[in-house]
Amino acid sequence: MRTGDYKQSYGELVALIESPPVWLWSAVLLLALIAAPYVLNSYALSFLMIILITVTGALGLNILTGYTGLISLGHVGFLVTGAYAYAVLITKYHMPPLVGFVGAGVVPALASLIVGAPSLRLKGLYLAITTLAFSFIINTVILEMRWLTNGARGIQVQRPEILGVSFDGDAAFTYLCLGIAGLTLFATLNIRRSRVGRAFVAIRDNDTAARVMGVNLHTYKLFAFITSAFITGIAGALYGIYLSFVSVEGFPFLLSIEALAILIVGGLGSALGAVLGTILIVLLPEVTRIVFSLFSAQMDAAFTTGAQELKSMLYGLVIILFLRFQPRGLVGAWHDIRRTWVHWPLRY
Amino acid sequence: MQYLIQLVISGLAIGAIYGLIAMGFAVIYKSTGLVNFAQGEMTMITAYIAWTISTTVSGNVFVVAVGAILAAIVLGLIIERLVMRPMLGEPVFATVMVTIGLAVILRSAINFIWDAYPHGLDIGMGRGIVHLGGIGVRTGQIAVIATLLLLLAAIWAFFRYSKVGVAMRAVAADDRTALLMGISATRVHALAWAASSVIAGIGGVFFALSYDLSPAMFQLGLKAFPATILGGLDAVLGSGLGGLLIGITENLAGGYIGSGMKEVAGFAMIIIVLMIRPFGIFGERDIERV
Repeated sequence: MRTGDYKQSYGELVALIESPPVWLWSAVLLLALIAAPYVLNSYALSFLMIILITVTGALGLNILTGYTGLISLGHVGFLVTGAYAYAVLITKYHMPPLVGFVGAGVVPALASLIVGAPSLRLKGLYLAITTLAFSFIINTVILEMRWLTNGARGIQVQRPEILGVSFDGDAAFTYLCLGIAGLTLFATLNIRRSRVGRAFVAIRDNDTAARVMGVNLHTYKLFAFITSAFITGIAGALYGIYLSFVSVEGFPFLLSIEALAILIVGGLGSALGAVLGTILIVLLPEVTRIVFSLFSAQMDAAFTTGAQELKSMLYGLVIILFLRFQPRGLVGAWHDIRRTWVHWPLRY
Repeated sequence: MQYLIQLVISGLAIGAIYGLIAMGFAVIYKSTGLVNFAQGEMTMITAYIAWTISTTVSGNVFVVAVGAILAAIVLGLIIERLVMRPMLGEPVFATVMVTIGLAVILRSAINFIWDAYPHGLDIGMGRGIVHLGGIGVRTGQIAVIATLLLLLAAIWAFFRYSKVGVAMRAVAADDRTALLMGISATRVHALAWAASSVIAGIGGVFFALSYDLSPAMFQLGLKAFPATILGGLDAVLGSGLGGLLIGITENLAGGYIGSGMKEVAGFAMIIIVLMIRPFGIFGERDIERV
């Protein structure tokens, strides 16, 4: 009889994938995602695209807030910098899209040094507010640099063609998002199980103690900022391409909060949590709309007139309810279910 | 010179509003140890309620003032009881995220209940212009600066001399010891939320008097952040003065450098201040133990 989940060596603790069934199910999921563009209609496909793009961004924030414990309220700043870096490189300087994507990562990473440097002295809420300030400043900088960014008029972006492969169609663009989201997931999982990831978690749990243990706070905090901004910037570029138009209005402050909501709902500090949280938060308004329309046509009408308000109210409510009743998020709930399943009928 | 004085005066007026809201932040931080990200939204609700009273019940100054203050108290108490008290004892990060969730809910609720169009709060005063040595100043601007200074003095005396004020400081310093000394932490928290809601609400009503009510008003809360940070999150008086400083800086930057700078001058200033003093100008450095 199976009595629990035992780890007997360090190798098992840092394994990328726990057990053969997980391998199997991951492969099944990947195949399903590859088949999805042929099966889903274009409405459902747009949700899949948004989920994949958001997963990339959420994983980026997860490195900073989830692993390293540095709360960022300004991640939309990196998102918008990435989108603009891509758009400017492609349209103004006519670079190939691959260079554009590298730029979309590198430019926010450089910008993150500006916020990252004070973070070495600041803690907790003071840092959160500094990142908030950064995201407002970056918006103004973009609006003021008209010669480069067209100011408030924004920049039109086409779907890219990389190495002779066109990503113009919806299915093809979904594959591009899938590829990038998959790579990001793989990268963050590997960061987490490396020396760097352990240093991040040590900083999160107690930075003074981590420092005593020989973790260089300056290096690792800056590294967390750079990695996080790099990934978020690429997500920003993808989002810009998805919108086919990059402007400051396309990246409202609410996105920063949405990203934090995703991490909280999913379970802070877990890559799986970021994925689950994204799926829940992206689909939440749609699911609620369907549920409401089942009840009555009137409620459905109320939903269409006040859709934006109800949507953000739902975010707020979901954040509060999760923090109150399931602070470990969906991942925590999943662990509880799994434990109950394995140990049943015993409690633990 | 005339231009400079004009800028400084209007900076003081808007700064006094930031200062009031920043004091709201600081009162909550001082007694509960968390930053209330829903402060701007609470400010906004009070202003909207004041507007509703002025249009439906009566435009009389006293009716509007009393109604708004009562509404702010009730709002603060409801939020504390329903949303914040269940989170007592949870980590600070979780509690602060709850206030962010609350901010999102309140903001959309405002758009849902009232409409998305701008409204002017008209109670028959505050828009008149007084000439002081050749410089036109609105009476509302003078009133808000005077209110801020009065409240600063009152709050200083409250925290210094009154028993409740000392109790609030005790809870902020060490809630367990305070509990052992017979101070009810929940009651102190409730009081702090109500007081913060009223102080910030006064700022919101003054804003609505001089400018207009609009759904974008929650940004006042974000604009007041620099003021609180500048003064130090735990310094109520510092926050009030920080508001004045931010208001003047913003207006001078807007007047001499460019309108884009006006929006971010406060934020740029806090990044610089935090580099030098990571706990604000008047804030206390906290010592951490492993």
